[in-house]
Amino acid sequence: MSTTGYATRQAKPRSTPPSPGFQLRNPRRTWRITTGILVALLFAIPVLYVVMISFESQGHFVRSPLTPPASPTFSNFSAAWSQGDLGPEVLNTILYSVVAAAISVALSLLIAFPIARRLVRASTFIYRTFVIGVCIPLPVIPLFIEAQRLDLYNSRIGYILLHVEPGLPLGVILLTAFVMSVPEELDEAAYLEGCGYLRYLVRIVTPLAWPSIVIAFLYSLLQVWNDIIGPVVFLSDPGLFPVTRGVYNFYGANVSAYTILAAAVVIVSLPVVALFIASQRQLLRASVIASR
Amino acid sequence: MAATYRTPSKVRLLSRPSRLVMWLGVAIGLAFFLLFGIAPAVANIVISLTDYSGLAGASTNFTGLGNYTTLFTTQWPGFIGSLGDSLYFVVGVTVIQNAIALALAHRLQGTSRTASLLRILAFLPIVLGVTVVGIVWLLLFDPQSGPVQSVLGHAGFHSAFFGSGSLAMPLTIMVQVWQNLGFTMVVFIGGLKAIPPEIFEAADIDGAGGWRRFRRVTWPLMAPVVSVNITFAVIGSLTTYNLIYILTDGQFGTNTLGILAFNTAFGNTADLGLGASMSVILLLLAIIVALPLVAYLQHRERRLLA
Repeated sequence: MSTTGYATRQAKPRSTPPSPGFQLRNPRRTWRITTGILVALLFAIPVLYVVMISFESQGHFVRSPLTPPASPTFSNFSAAWSQGDLGPEVLNTILYSVVAAAISVALSLLIAFPIARRLVRASTFIYRTFVIGVCIPLPVIPLFIEAQRLDLYNSRIGYILLHVEPGLPLGVILLTAFVMSVPEELDEAAYLEGCGYLRYLVRIVTPLAWPSIVIAFLYSLLQVWNDIIGPVVFLSDPGLFPVTRGVYNFYGANVSAYTILAAAVVIVSLPVVALFIASQRQLLRASVIASR
Repeated sequence: MAATYRTPSKVRLLSRPSRLVMWLGVAIGLAFFLLFGIAPAVANIVISLTDYSGLAGASTNFTGLGNYTTLFTTQWPGFIGSLGDSLYFVVGVTVIQNAIALALAHRLQGTSRTASLLRILAFLPIVLGVTVVGIVWLLLFDPQSGPVQSVLGHAGFHSAFFGSGSLAMPLTIMVQVWQNLGFTMVVFIGGLKAIPPEIFEAADIDGAGGWRRFRRVTWPLMAPVVSVNITFAVIGSLTTYNLIYILTDGQFGTNTLGILAFNTAFGNTADLGLGASMSVILLLLAIIVALPLVAYLQHRERRLLA
């Protein structure tokens, strides 16, 4: 139930009164519908087309690549699943991205809280370094040498450790901003009650900061999930490959088996699209915050 | 009041074990940042002064500025050309991405169900990632049996698309823009939302419609986000090469400095030192481009907001 005051505030004055019902005569409405459809086509068509041919037989695709399949088939999916090592690769990707993102967010909070409260020296300097870190891309050549020297090359643990840092700058910035909005009296009350630092972070700050933590986690997760240069540079054993490199190699080996390739792309994209649908609100907010 | 109450050493409130845990947490976090963030950035410069190859048994020598003189004086294959390709790519991406994203933001800023659905849709390419996006477009523009060739073939047009010297770069720019539109658009929407609605109401009352309203009210007030988006697009398109790696691997006129540095280090040449020197040049270019750009855009913000 909205009060009248709320309702009047919502009703903003418009230059043209809203048209009752569906009226194609109204040029403004026609324009909005047309542009809306155009935008939808711009983003949906490429993706929908690949989904469509993933259900086509290779023969049908070669004969008429533009028409939907006469009799949809799932054979491409089973072929892609068995020919590419998609199963283990999806599991590798989930392992790498979830663990690296979780470590990244945990460390971000451990840095952000003392910085926000100025409990450590040079808090401002540390914070500014992270701000610069957001803008500058990581040089991959020294990281490759470092990975070899530190025995992180071609190993699951190494790959995860190498992917913690990319999530830190944004995580620290997001969480510092959040902690600053938590009143310091809350800390003091907790300390006086005898609540330890770590318990305070886990029990009080984490639940309060949950929206920011989710954003930092998702952002970090997507970075690891979609990385293609990392798997090329840091891994050599195919058993360790994440889906990005797996599906790229699969593409190189099956350039002419379009329908199977399309099915592989669909399989590989399903988990991340599902995650996206579940969390689109946070993701869109993350990009606004990242831009500041 | 709270300010005067604050004691200078709040750490005292923490018990000794708690303080230890706090320091340990900061130390581990900063160790990651130093080891995998700061150290590589510094090491990159050092490596660029050597002939490090990364091959087992090969000796590594300090060569001073040797790599840099090689690049600029001996016409190292592709280096000078890559500067041109980078310029083409950066200008193309920055202009097109911001123009389309601004139009999209204008159309999709509303609170209607359709607008929010389309906003989410525009974000899909970012979620799918460069690998999937790259392969999708390679399939669409496949020169043998892709749908685009199939349509254009009826008009008698045939091309190798991503394998064509004239079309590969425009197509790569298009995919890069498609990939990042959602992000740029959301930033623009943030800027549009930050404009107080009273200003639009005042403009309405003054009878400023459509284009004039955009030119005189929206555009000046959006100056800060325009700055952010242009800077992001320039630095981003200058330094990224992952999409190019998938689409063309730097062939057919898409050999930007980023992909050249990567291929010099990890391709057949296996010259990590020379590759590092290219990425140092790339970083310098990014700074050289970014500093005046940021200064100009800030100046512009002040002028437009005044």
